[in-house]
Amino acid sequence: MAKRTSYFPELKRNWWLKHPYFKKYMAREATVLPLVFFLLCLLAGLYSLLQGAESWQGWLTFMQSPLVIAVNALAFIASLFHAWTFFQLFPRVMPLRAGGRTLPPNLMVLGQWFGVVVVMVLAAWIFMRGL
Amino acid sequence: MTTKRLSIQRYLPEQGNNTPYWQDFDIPFDDSTSVLDALNYVKEELDGSLSYRWSCRMAICGSCGVMVNNTPKLGCQSFLRDYEGPVKIAPLAHFPVEKDLIIDMGLFLDHLAAVQPYLINDSRLINDSEEGTETFKQTPAQMEKYKQFAGCINCGLCYSACPQFGLNPEFLGPAALTLAHRYNLDSRDQGKKQRMPQMNREEGVWSCTFVGFCSEVCPKNVDPAAAVNQGKVESAKDMLIGIFKG
Repeated sequence: MAKRTSYFPELKRNWWLKHPYFKKYMAREATVLPLVFFLLCLLAGLYSLLQGAESWQGWLTFMQSPLVIAVNALAFIASLFHAWTFFQLFPRVMPLRAGGRTLPPNLMVLGQWFGVVVVMVLAAWIFMRGL
Repeated sequence: MTTKRLSIQRYLPEQGNNTPYWQDFDIPFDDSTSVLDALNYVKEELDGSLSYRWSCRMAICGSCGVMVNNTPKLGCQSFLRDYEGPVKIAPLAHFPVEKDLIIDMGLFLDHLAAVQPYLINDSRLINDSEEGTETFKQTPAQMEKYKQFAGCINCGLCYSACPQFGLNPEFLGPAALTLAHRYNLDSRDQGKKQRMPQMNREEGVWSCTFVGFCSEVCPKNVDPAAAVNQGKVESAKDMLIGIFKG
């Protein structure tokens, strides 16, 4: 019998550039990057609050600079995009059953968006009260 | 009759050519010409040396999987009419290539065997002296729980769609983990305890990052990504229970 000579193509580091589906997947994964920036901003805010009034004012000025607002706006849009993809995946990972039937996926997606609205309204009520 | 250009990846090691190369063929086609029909046309009319697998021609046997324009497809289920411009045909990705479009599925079969994808139930051997003469009973509601995941035809398209399997061939992969979950959900089965150690491994469910392309390419709409990620929930539960039991 002849010797087997198989050829094994290796997956290169840029594999995700080879298909539109993988690019979309990587976009979803990349939404974490602007979110990390937003979290660092929050941490810096807490730290400057502990440091005193001057430091706090400095942080407020930093947060109002157009570039920071732009990146944080990107973080907001990215997290909404991530939520949109995640909410669609949720009914597939945890199909809920009620009365012997699986709940329709659309209903579960809507339920999650309803949750987002509730949290947003609650946050607005808590933080806007004093204004 | 109009023609379509097919670019087929050839690999003929027995002829001393150890690097794959592309060969073009012009195929006459109409609305009913599938990629598999086109490959058959090449073999019968243009170049008899072309090698590829096929059998049923109706998306049941799962043997004619190839990459069509970088996407895993069953040759019998994809049609030339749906492709603009030339069509690139290559062997299924992430597997060793033996010759032309023929891959070695050995690793995939090993992963399948590892999760014991069959009913494990010893109750009848203990309780019933006439072992194996009675059929298992199952209600439609019990069957509904796993039915979608039972449609797998072992074509391997999901493995070619999975970058995690491409990066680490030790990953059990979509079809094997789906079948493990499918049998764990089956009311007739008692083998979950034996399957969980495989699913709990790092090369089990936890290597999946929910790219989701496996479910996109599955010709039977099995949704392996859903099954694997439901497996993560099961694996987490199994680990927690393990901690409390000590």
